[in-house]
Amino acid sequence: MFAAVVSIALLGATLEPLIREPWEDGFPLSPYPMFAFKRPTKLSMEYAFGLTASGERKALTPRIVGSSEVLQALTVLQRARSRGELPQLCATIAGRVAEIEHYDDVTEIRVVNGTHDAVDFLMRDIRGPEIQLTSCTVPR
Amino acid sequence: MKRISDWWFAPAPAKRLAAVRILVGAFGLVWVGGRLMESYAVAQLGGAHFKPTGVVRLLDVPLPPSVTLAIGIVTCVLLAAFTLGAAYRITAPLAAVGLLWALTYRNSFGMIFHTENLLVMHVLALACAPAADAWSIDRVRRGAAAPAPEAGYGWILKLLAAITAATYMMAGIAKLRIAGVAWLDGEQLRNQIAVDNLRKALLGDSIAPLATPFLDHPAGFTVFSIMTIVLELGAPLALLHPRAAKSWALMAWGFHVGVVFLMNIWFPYPLLGLAYLPLLRCERPFDWVIGWRQRRRAGNVPPPTPG
Repeated sequence: MFAAVVSIALLGATLEPLIREPWEDGFPLSPYPMFAFKRPTKLSMEYAFGLTASGERKALTPRIVGSSEVLQALTVLQRARSRGELPQLCATIAGRVAEIEHYDDVTEIRVVNGTHDAVDFLMRDIRGPEIQLTSCTVPR
Repeated sequence: MKRISDWWFAPAPAKRLAAVRILVGAFGLVWVGGRLMESYAVAQLGGAHFKPTGVVRLLDVPLPPSVTLAIGIVTCVLLAAFTLGAAYRITAPLAAVGLLWALTYRNSFGMIFHTENLLVMHVLALACAPAADAWSIDRVRRGAAAPAPEAGYGWILKLLAAITAATYMMAGIAKLRIAGVAWLDGEQLRNQIAVDNLRKALLGDSIAPLATPFLDHPAGFTVFSIMTIVLELGAPLALLHPRAAKSWALMAWGFHVGVVFLMNIWFPYPLLGLAYLPLLRCERPFDWVIGWRQRRRAGNVPPPTPG
């Protein structure tokens, strides 16, 4: 009896998201909507990068922004922008960069909003327009 | 009804369930333990980023990061007991609750990941089962083998396998509910892969090794899309026969390898084969190692002298 109740309860719970809207995600009960949404290849998003004294760009790892997970790092940037806290976040990023040897030559952090076509960017190295949102100096 | 009941409760060895407990528990321990500091860093993001999901909806504001860290450490201790089968009837439910809380909390900061759901569901199911009747500290303490439970050990393996199959099936259903059959033409998958890799490139992560070569061949994504939907919607077939189970598990594993090469997204639980353990005779490697050790020990005993 116990086995039957546990089986029905846990399997039922796993299948419960089927009665929700498929985009109503949760954890650990999920309808697994990832990869299901229609998406254009054009993407507009916030990101940060480092600049050396000679003007060379250096990509910053997501951990420096606030999480080792790419999507969570993106959320950190988006939230900071929507709350008007990008200058503070920029300063935090600059502080982290200052402590990492790999970024010894980085003198400035820029946070931008860029709009790129994913296929053009990845296949043909064509960048779309970027709007600078904030910048700050790396403390040395 | 009786046929379904006979199938669901078909007997299985206690050792198979124990092997699943050990491997799933060890993975949970390494997963939570290895990400303690990362979880601590995420907990420090603060209330602005806090978007509770699941059981964490009990909270209106985030916990102090030190409490999050403490819960993570206690969960690790409980998962170690779960893996070893020590005081299992007490530690297993607590470990399951700890894991549920710790990982749900980690997913409550603006981004829900889908890499940990199955682990949590499997540990919750194992915690309800007599999974420490073999190869456990409890078994060693008792001395003699415990009498097999009335419901046997097969049902829990069926349940674990059914949960695995259900998650894949639901991913397939979500694609058809959200995008319809248009998802099969491959364009959406191609766009997803392109956009995901672009995000990685812009945020300083590595892009997937096969993403750019395949983006140049859009027709290939039609094949990938159809294969994905067939694999996901066909998952319940894995429950019907051991051969179907092995074939499906192999295809599902291959699918996740493909996701790594095309999107650089790692689902460690299925990639290590743990998601598919309940479908396989996973006690065999343990039996082999134990048998090998026994043979080795026996070989060390000096042979009797002739005459």
